[in-house]
Amino acid sequence: MMRKTLSNGLTITLVIAFSPLGVSLRAAEKTSAPSPAIAASSTSPSSAAVSTLASNAPGAGRSLANVPGSRTDRIDAPRSADAKSIRLTIVPDRVELRDADDSAQILATIERSDGTSIDRTDDSVYIVTDPKVARVENGYVVPLSNGSTKLEVVTKDRASGRELRGFTTVVVRDYNVDRPIHFVNDVIPVLTKYGCNAGGCHGKATGQNGFKLSLLGFDPVSDHDALVKEARGRRVFPAAPERSLLLTKPTGKAAHGGGRKFEVGSVPYQMLLRWINQGSPFGKPDAPTVARIEVSPATPTMERNARRRLRVVAHYTDGSTRDVTRASEYKSQQPDLLNVDGEGRVSTLDSTGEGAVMVRYMGQVDVAKICIPFGPRLAESAYADFHPRGFIDELAMKKWRKLGLAPSAVCGDEEFIRRASIDAIGTLPTPDEVRSFIADQSSDKRAKLIDRLLDRNEYASYWASHWGDLLRNKRRYGDAYKRGTFAFASWIRDQFARNVHYDKFVREILTAQGDVSDSPAVVWYREVRNITHQVNDTSQLFLGMRIQCANCHHHPYERWSQDDYWGFAAHFARLGNKQGAVANETAIFVRKDGGVSQPRTHREMKPKPLGAAEADYVRGQDPREKLVDWMTSPDNPYFAKAIVNRMWAQFLGVGLVEAIDDMRVTNPPSNAELLNALAVDFVKHDFDLKHLIRTIMNSQTYQLSSIPNSSNEKDRRNYARFYPRRLSAQVLCDAVDAATGSVEKYRGFPLGARAIDLPDESIDSYFLDVFGRSQRESACECERSSAANLAQTLHLMNSPETQRKIAGGRIEKMIQAKLSDDKIARELFLWTFAREPKPEDLTDVLNYVGRSKSKKQAFEDVLWSLLNSKEFMFNH
Amino acid sequence: MIQVTNGRYRCCDGMTRRSVLKAGVLAFGGLSLADLLRIESRAKSEGRSPSDLSVILIWQGGGPSHLDMWDLKPNAPSEFRGTFNPIASNLAGFEVGEHMPRIARVCDKLSVIRSATHPDSGHESATHFLLTGYPPTNDIPANEAPSYGSIVGKELGAKQPGLPPYVAVPRAPRSSAAAYLGVEHNPFEIMGDPNNEGFRVRNLVPPHEISLERLGGRRELLSRFDTIRRDADASGAIEGMDKFSRKVFEMTTSPAVREAFDLRKEDPRMRDRYGRHTWGQSTLLARRLVESGVRFVTVDTGGWDTHGNNFEELKRNHLPRFDQSFSALIDDLDQRGRLESTLVLVWGEFGRTPRINQTAGRDHWPNVFSVVMAGGGIKRGVVVGSSDARAEFPKDRPISPQDILATMYRKLGIDVEKAYVNEADRPVQILNQGKPIDEIS
Repeated sequence: MMRKTLSNGLTITLVIAFSPLGVSLRAAEKTSAPSPAIAASSTSPSSAAVSTLASNAPGAGRSLANVPGSRTDRIDAPRSADAKSIRLTIVPDRVELRDADDSAQILATIERSDGTSIDRTDDSVYIVTDPKVARVENGYVVPLSNGSTKLEVVTKDRASGRELRGFTTVVVRDYNVDRPIHFVNDVIPVLTKYGCNAGGCHGKATGQNGFKLSLLGFDPVSDHDALVKEARGRRVFPAAPERSLLLTKPTGKAAHGGGRKFEVGSVPYQMLLRWINQGSPFGKPDAPTVARIEVSPATPTMERNARRRLRVVAHYTDGSTRDVTRASEYKSQQPDLLNVDGEGRVSTLDSTGEGAVMVRYMGQVDVAKICIPFGPRLAESAYADFHPRGFIDELAMKKWRKLGLAPSAVCGDEEFIRRASIDAIGTLPTPDEVRSFIADQSSDKRAKLIDRLLDRNEYASYWASHWGDLLRNKRRYGDAYKRGTFAFASWIRDQFARNVHYDKFVREILTAQGDVSDSPAVVWYREVRNITHQVNDTSQLFLGMRIQCANCHHHPYERWSQDDYWGFAAHFARLGNKQGAVANETAIFVRKDGGVSQPRTHREMKPKPLGAAEADYVRGQDPREKLVDWMTSPDNPYFAKAIVNRMWAQFLGVGLVEAIDDMRVTNPPSNAELLNALAVDFVKHDFDLKHLIRTIMNSQTYQLSSIPNSSNEKDRRNYARFYPRRLSAQVLCDAVDAATGSVEKYRGFPLGARAIDLPDESIDSYFLDVFGRSQRESACECERSSAANLAQTLHLMNSPETQRKIAGGRIEKMIQAKLSDDKIARELFLWTFAREPKPEDLTDVLNYVGRSKSKKQAFEDVLWSLLNSKEFMFNH
Repeated sequence: MIQVTNGRYRCCDGMTRRSVLKAGVLAFGGLSLADLLRIESRAKSEGRSPSDLSVILIWQGGGPSHLDMWDLKPNAPSEFRGTFNPIASNLAGFEVGEHMPRIARVCDKLSVIRSATHPDSGHESATHFLLTGYPPTNDIPANEAPSYGSIVGKELGAKQPGLPPYVAVPRAPRSSAAAYLGVEHNPFEIMGDPNNEGFRVRNLVPPHEISLERLGGRRELLSRFDTIRRDADASGAIEGMDKFSRKVFEMTTSPAVREAFDLRKEDPRMRDRYGRHTWGQSTLLARRLVESGVRFVTVDTGGWDTHGNNFEELKRNHLPRFDQSFSALIDDLDQRGRLESTLVLVWGEFGRTPRINQTAGRDHWPNVFSVVMAGGGIKRGVVVGSSDARAEFPKDRPISPQDILATMYRKLGIDVEKAYVNEADRPVQILNQGKPIDEIS
């Protein structure tokens, strides 16, 4: 067999301890004392090959003392007095290469007794005692002939200037045996690694130029047919294997739309050629397959602007393992934090945080979670002013400590009341509210404010508007759909007004049936009409997962297969539409029977929630009930996390998982413990959304200032400060009305209806369009846009609408009421910025008004400038 | 299937996703007059004059059918060739589809690439690729790289201070935004139908009661009160808004700006010539804008996603409008002596399947499609490359989207090796692939 078993155990080959008595050796293997500079060739047997072979390591072949260290070096500077003991660890301790195609990645790591470590794989010299057996490049071992040899690894610890050595053994067997190539285990990985079966090429549903492969090789039987049986034997041509299209196309010897993928004679070429020479076998159908892959190290810590290697081992169903480092695909999940190349070499950028590298091989995925601290841990004084008030703060602070981030100060009362009012109810505070909040001397006044906000009417309007977007309460065909959107909108609003718990809210929507008038939630099914939309929206919106890929093929980054997708779809299979009692509205009913079949296998699917057991097919039952039972059960792994992450992103600006509805193993949260704790707390409190909001808003983490300090300036994922964001279209529109004391009239609505009260997206408003309201065409939060554009600025600065509001509202009233200039100025600042003007602001206003011909016009100009300030347009 | 919702075109795969800049952007300096002067002086010191070219991009979102417009295959089997016949053009040996008779009379002024190809058959991702020069790395592309409208606008600025360098008429297609160049390089969207009675670009000037003096006062007040710390916002949105504020002051005080956007200043006969429909008037407005000094105008003519009823749709709707407006643009620019200073690029995210589907439609086909370039120093009357017998794949001279863009940048004198720093602090070149097409540039 082609596979070999590798030990993942670590071997300590050398420990150098710096004791007061000098250098002593606690070596596990015999070794020579470190010399100040190894001219590598002079310290090794003359027959040994010395190789750094790192094309990117300019020090190759020279004295180690001259090998320039990468920036990775800095992290291993000892941070405490007892960080004296260091060692070079080589993984694995024995490399067994079982055939000529086998290869292995070695990792050479300097480890310190204080727990820090540094990857030196690319900065080491590799000395193969018997160079006939294997060669080594950057720790990558390739067999050359049968035999066994010792491999010595020498590197230099930059911090101490010491040279360290480590050893491992390389054993090569069956180098000359022409082992049978296995289609699934040998050929498909080549097709995948070179993108042949990718979605943009032959892997797409229609294939490419008549040649179709299954996406990423999930259907090897049909792929084998496509190569061997179709195209009249031209793809593989046993009579002259070199002339097979499988070899001439990717090497550019025949015209190939996908271009040249590899060279004649290269490793992938030889693999495919040997397979054809052997008669293009499928291989043993019962051959072991990849059960899982394992990337190591799984959770390394790296410095900024550093690099390190990863190693990937595939575990097969028969218990054997194989190094697949070079055959795997890699993808950085946080390109703003780190990059990864095709060999599994990670390079971090200048940002701080935790990132992930997704690794994929043969349909299996794993992630390496990489922690990139801002710098060394900070002194405790950095956290002295931060007083945790519960699990959110504890867990956020734990992360800051780990990353070397210091939190910003807690925000002031004015900032807080404005922020809290915008986030909880989409409404600016009035000057009276600000003044009484500031005047309140009680220590729990922020908590009390939060309680008051959650009891306000605007709470229901604001969140109903938000959920109207997500639930796609969209008006099509003008008035024909109006009755439905209005009914659904007021139903949603009522749910929030009564604080119906989230599990019940979702159940009502997903299991809706009947007519709009009895059951307004059926309107959800009007826009989410066909079964694939029902699966996609349900999973994205309520489970935080995008599984639409699995409609047509196995999900490329997840474990979901087409069976999973269509088993999930079976819950919706009995739904039917009929003409409702209300004109132009359809009613939803549930048939006694009905199922769906998986489109590829045509197998009738039983209802099966994601990752849970199949349910029995029961006539007369509505399978959606079972689905919601599963979703809302306390131990459902997705449901609570999806909503707490969504709500967290609403209040903190960035989801713990981002994008918020793309939760998967390969896209881990920035703070997994915090996400878990929020979900557990939410379930414990019976899916109570107000409880969740209260928990978030009462945390000190939510209440931090947005003013950065030197450590958290670049932090975008760890909440060490508040991230400012522009008000949403509706909230900003209402804020302009509130600040100017005017009322926008929406066609068909009574005067006084606010933008957050509008039931659907069809109500005419240039303001809302230009500031990016959602068109309700998807369940994605991203449909609401806060991107800036010139038209927005033109509108706020130049539009007659804005001018009319400024001139026609409260300024006129205040002047008529004979308020002093000083008082008017204060009121305008409070209405827009929710704070008193600073003394110099007040002087500026009074000077401006004093030298103007018209007091009214002067105050209009003041209000105009406040509205056009970022302090107004942003929640900060 | 095509739907028009709120004036935005929708393709078969659903989303009309707004440009999402959530990942954050690093803000860069906007091009003030001072910047322009600096660029000019630098260019002079390097012994070359700054480009005076402008660009009009006619974006055929959804994917126009190359087989029914620029690359007919009358000898292909009927399930490929469709119902349209080729007609001769004024370029010897070059034929176009019969529903583009006016374009047939300006072909000697165009260069046509018949062997464009790329691997991406998804609307959103291919649009991202063709409008930015970079294939998206994400499943759901969120304008990861800047559009070339943003790049050209940033590199060259408006030719007339006060005007926005980059304008989209009537709306900007997806992936038209500036990404990490900063929000101030996003396109200015007209957001109105230039064909509408009484069409005016909104809010270009303040209401009449706001005198220049008051405007000055407002500006002064704004500079005092708008003091929120920009560094509080790592996303760059705050700084971007500052740039817009300055831009608005420039535009507001410039009479040239008002003129540029005012289609009523055009002779009604000229308006008729471009066609009294959205595409016609949008194209005319584009000509007017580049003439006034806008550097880059995108004319969004969506709805080319003809999965069903391809031939009737094209014959009745798309082609008559495109034929009229595009031929008028080429003639008009040429007659005004502006064709050599205005580069016109016509393409959509891909072509359409040569094999006709069961609903008389054609589906997505990026493997080969046609691209038209004209003006701005592009050679006239050159046909580059060809497709195979059924217009399925390039027969020779495959041309990538980056090759097209490299050709445009060469004419504009923009160095594609220049790199901008993205949100990850990584330098990203304007283009990292592609060679200018020597035959036409």
